[in-house]
Amino acid sequence: MQFRILYLFVTALLFLSGCSDKLVRVMPYEKEHFADKKMSLSPLEERAEQEGHIFLIREASAGGDSSFQGGCGCR
Amino acid sequence: MKKLIMIAMVLSLQLFAGVSEGEKAVAFDLKTLEGSKSYQMDDFKGKVVLLNLWGSWCGGCKKEMPEFFKLQKESDKGFEIVAVSIDNKASESEKFLHSLEGEVGYKTPFLTLHDPDKMLPKAYGAVAMPSSYLIDKEGVVRAVIVGSLDADDIEELKLEINKLK
Repeated sequence: MQFRILYLFVTALLFLSGCSDKLVRVMPYEKEHFADKKMSLSPLEERAEQEGHIFLIREASAGGDSSFQGGCGCR
Repeated sequence: MKKLIMIAMVLSLQLFAGVSEGEKAVAFDLKTLEGSKSYQMDDFKGKVVLLNLWGSWCGGCKKEMPEFFKLQKESDKGFEIVAVSIDNKASESEKFLHSLEGEVGYKTPFLTLHDPDKMLPKAYGAVAMPSSYLIDKEGVVRAVIVGSLDADDIEELKLEINKLK
């Protein structure tokens, strides 16, 4: 019984570690290609930043470009 | 069984590992942007070091770079900035630095290393770009600086550097 609990614990630990921030999220230092101009949402440079900002707020995402943002739109 | 649990726990904790204040700076062996020479962390023992992780694609990194030029130019030999570029291609970093050199009118006054494998940001657990680490003479991280620094931040940083000298 004890062995089974331990086995479940280890399995759960390994399984949940797969959800680690470092594994599922593109880390800030891995965003070189995302920061490329051709990855921008708009072909117009002046509009791209604004559109990107709005997109990130709408998606409540952590940012796909070089910027560091939350989903609150406060930055 | 106990060994298996320990291994699993250590592996899981590794995923959250990073370097915080008071911990030893990460050892490295990196080449300069030109690829001519290699440097290790131990080479800077006895000096206060500002380790800056940057990329030419990162807006904040480019914004703070002129401030680092000024800071190094004004500092004595006891303090050194080590700028580690994480660009895939060293030529991109060199291109940016050359354009900045043209603007300020002098050569890059500090050491620039290249880490295309992102070994240092991974080891330090960098949560944003740029990230900088103030390391004392004994190689211990004294401050973790997240994000870009402006002129006012640099003034505060100077006080910290002087305390460590």
